[in-house]
Amino acid sequence: MAEIKCPKCAGPVQFDAGTKFTKCSYCSSQIYIDRSGAGFYYAIPFTLSESDAVGTFKRWAGGSTKAKDLDRLAQVTKVTKKYFPVYMFRRDVDGREEVLLEPAGSTILPGLHRLKLPGGDLQIFDAQFNTSGAEMVQPDIAMTHYLSSLPGKAKEQSLVYFPIWELEYRFKGTDYQVVVDASSSEVFASVFPTRSSLAYLAVSTAGFIAFVAEGLLATVNLYAGAALMAITVAAVFASSLYVARRL
Amino acid sequence: MKVTLVKCPKCELPLYMETQDEFFYCSHCGTIHTRNGPKVERIPYEIADFRPDAQTDNRVYVPFWRLHTDFRIKSRDVKGGFFNKIGQALKGGDKGASIYIYVPASQMETAAFRYWSVNLTINNPRYSARTDFAGTPRMPATTTRDEAIELADFVAVTLEAEKPGTLQYLDYTLTVNEAKVVYLPFMSSRSGLHLAV
Amino acid sequence: MSGQLSVGLNCPSCGGAISVSEGESSLNCRYCGSTLYIEGDNGVNTVAFKNKLDRDAAIKATKAWWRKGFKARDLKSAGAITEVYPIYLPFWSIGTRVAGWVCGYEEKTTTDSKGNTRTEREYKEEMVLMDLSFSEIACDPGDLGIRSLRNFNGEASFEDMDMIPSFESTTSRDDAMAHARADAMARGRASARIPNITFESLHVLVRKLSMIYYPVWVARYTYQDRMYIATVDGVTGQMLSGRAPGDPLYQSLAVTAGTSLGGLAAAGGIIAAFTFQSEIGIAGVILGLIVLGGTYWFFRHGSEIIEGDFADRKQLASLKKGQLGSLLGGARI
Repeated sequence: MAEIKCPKCAGPVQFDAGTKFTKCSYCSSQIYIDRSGAGFYYAIPFTLSESDAVGTFKRWAGGSTKAKDLDRLAQVTKVTKKYFPVYMFRRDVDGREEVLLEPAGSTILPGLHRLKLPGGDLQIFDAQFNTSGAEMVQPDIAMTHYLSSLPGKAKEQSLVYFPIWELEYRFKGTDYQVVVDASSSEVFASVFPTRSSLAYLAVSTAGFIAFVAEGLLATVNLYAGAALMAITVAAVFASSLYVARRL
Repeated sequence: MKVTLVKCPKCELPLYMETQDEFFYCSHCGTIHTRNGPKVERIPYEIADFRPDAQTDNRVYVPFWRLHTDFRIKSRDVKGGFFNKIGQALKGGDKGASIYIYVPASQMETAAFRYWSVNLTINNPRYSARTDFAGTPRMPATTTRDEAIELADFVAVTLEAEKPGTLQYLDYTLTVNEAKVVYLPFMSSRSGLHLAV
Repeated sequence: MSGQLSVGLNCPSCGGAISVSEGESSLNCRYCGSTLYIEGDNGVNTVAFKNKLDRDAAIKATKAWWRKGFKARDLKSAGAITEVYPIYLPFWSIGTRVAGWVCGYEEKTTTDSKGNTRTEREYKEEMVLMDLSFSEIACDPGDLGIRSLRNFNGEASFEDMDMIPSFESTTSRDDAMAHARADAMARGRASARIPNITFESLHVLVRKLSMIYYPVWVARYTYQDRMYIATVDGVTGQMLSGRAPGDPLYQSLAVTAGTSLGGLAAAGGIIAAFTFQSEIGIAGVILGLIVLGGTYWFFRHGSEIIEGDFADRKQLASLKKGQLGSLLGGARI
C-alpha cells in the first residue's frame, strides 16, 4: 500500500497498485490517482517456495521433448531466489495506449528471449515490503534513460521486481540453467538436453507398414493374415510400452 | 484526468441533462455537440414531428445519422438474376446514384439495426421538421460520425447485394457529402419500435 | 518528475463530491444537475465477478479431473494436492459488431453414372451482421494455461477483491482492441462459409470495452516429486486448464490401435483403389495416415497431458499439423 494526502482534507489515503480511483476515508471524496508524473516501484510476491520451484523444474524436465528421465537424473546443484527488475511504461502514443517493457538490468535471464513481465499481484515496493530473503538484482539502467527516448506521452511508469528461482543442474557431465517464474510457475530455458523421436517413429512406422502388408495378405489368405496381425499387435504393444517407459 | 463543466459551444451556458447521452443538447439554444477529449464538435440535426394522430404515450425520439452520399459503381459482377440484367439493359446500366443513407445513432440489436437502416434508406421518411423535442424523451446516441460512415458503407453494399442475382464483385466509391442527425419520432411498444411520421 | 499525484473529484460548478465510475466519460452532478465531462484517462469500466467456490470444491474439481482422460492411472493415489488458492485474473472484454458482405463461390464436383466428373460453381452472397464477444487476458498468463474467458456471466461484486490477490493488468487496452477487431473480421468472414472469396466488405465497430476480474482457483499438486498446477473456474466450478502426468500404457495402447486400424484402413484403401474407384481408395489411405499421425503424436507426447491454452501445447499442435501435412503430402506422390 502506498499513501497520498487527500487533496481536499489532507488526510492520509492509502491505495493499491492497480487503483485508479479511490475514496478518502475521512471526507469520503473520490480521488483520481494520476501516475503520469511519478515513477512507482512494484514487486510481485513469491507464490512458489524452493521445493515448489524444484518440483516445477522436475515436471518441466519430465516433459516429452526433454531427455528421458531428465527429471530423475538431473542433479540440481544450485538454487537462488531473486527479484529481477524490469521497467514497465504505459504511454499514450498518438491516442493509442502502448505498454512497453524495457530491461532495467543488463543481465538477461536464460530462455527469456523476449523481455516479459509475468502476471502477478503487483504490490507497492517500499520499506515495508517483505522480500523474503531474495537477492535483489539491482537495476543498472536508470528510468530517466528511457523516459527521454520513448514515444508519446507518459501515462504511468514503474519498475517492477518479479520473483524468480534460478536453478542450475548437471546432466551427463554438462551444466544447464533454468529460471522458474515464482508467480505463475512458467519455466524458461534456452538450452536443455533433448530426447530423440527416432524410436517412437520407428515403432509407429514399422507397425503401420506391417499392418498394411498383413491387411493385403488377409485378402489372399485370411488365416495367415489374421495370425500375423495378432503377433504384430503384441509386438507393437510390447515395443511401444518399452519405448514409452524407457526411451 | 480533468472533470469539466459541459457548456454549450454556442451560447456558453452550462447544460443540465437528465440522461447520460453522448450528444450534449442545450435546451436553451438547441445546439447539440459531442466531445472527444478537448475537441468539441457541433452536430447539425433535425427533429421530425410526430404525425398528428400519434398517441401521446410511449413516444420516443430515436437519433439517426442521415448521410447524403454519392454511391458510384465502377464495375460489378452479378451471376444469375435474368430480370435484373434485362432491367439494367433497359435503363442503360446502373452506375449508382446520389442517396440518403440512414444509420441508427443509438445502440440497437442487429435485427433492428438492419431493418431500420435498410428500410429508411430505401424509403426515406417524409416529415415536417420542428425546432424542439417538446419534452419527448430521446434515446441516447452512441454512434459517432466516423462509425456512421463505416456503417453507411454496409448499407450501400446491402442495397446492391439484395438486388436479384448473386453479387460476385463490386468496385465502388462512397463519398459522404453531408452528415446530419435526424431525430425520428417513434412509438415504443412491447413489439418494438414503430415509426410515427 | 512533476505534477500532483492525486486529483480530487468535485463538481466544478457546485463543489459537491462526485462519483465517477471507471470508463464513464460524462455524468450529471447529483447535487446541482450540471452535466460534466471527464477529459483524459478515465480508465475502463471494471467489473469483478464474485467467487462462488471454496477450497474444498476446488480440490474436489481437481481430483475429479485427475480421473478423466488419459492421465496416469495412479494419479488419484500418488497425486497429492499441496496448495489451493484463489486469484483474480484481469481480462479485457470487448463487444464488437461486424457488418458487411462476403461474396464468392463454392466449387462442387459431381460424378455421374458414366464416371464423368463435372465441376460446378455455386455462387454465393452472404450478409454478415453479428455482435461478438472477445476476451483476452490482460496480463502475462505465465504457465496458468488461460488466455481468454469462456464465461461472461457472473455476479458483479468487488467484495472479494480485498481478500483475494488480484493480478494487475499489464497489457495495452488498444492492443486488445486491435486483437478484438481482427478476431471479429476473421469470425465474420468465417461465418459466411464461402471457400473462394471474390468480394468482401466488412466493418468492425467496438461497442463495449470493459475489464473483468475473474476469480480462478489454482491447485498445485505433486506426483513423483514433480509439481503440477491446474486451474478451476471460480464462478462455474469447471476445470480451466492444467497439466497432468500421462501413462505409458495409454501411449502404447494408442499407438497399437493407431497402427493396426490405420494400417488396415490403408490396406482396405489400396484394395478398393484396385477394384472399384480411385477416390474411395485414396480416402482410405489418407484416413489411415491421419489415424497413424494422431496416435503417433499421442505416443510421442502423451507422457504429459496438457489441457488449456499453454504456449508449449500450441507449439506441439503446430508440429502435429506440419507432420501430418508432410505425411499426407508424401502419400500423394
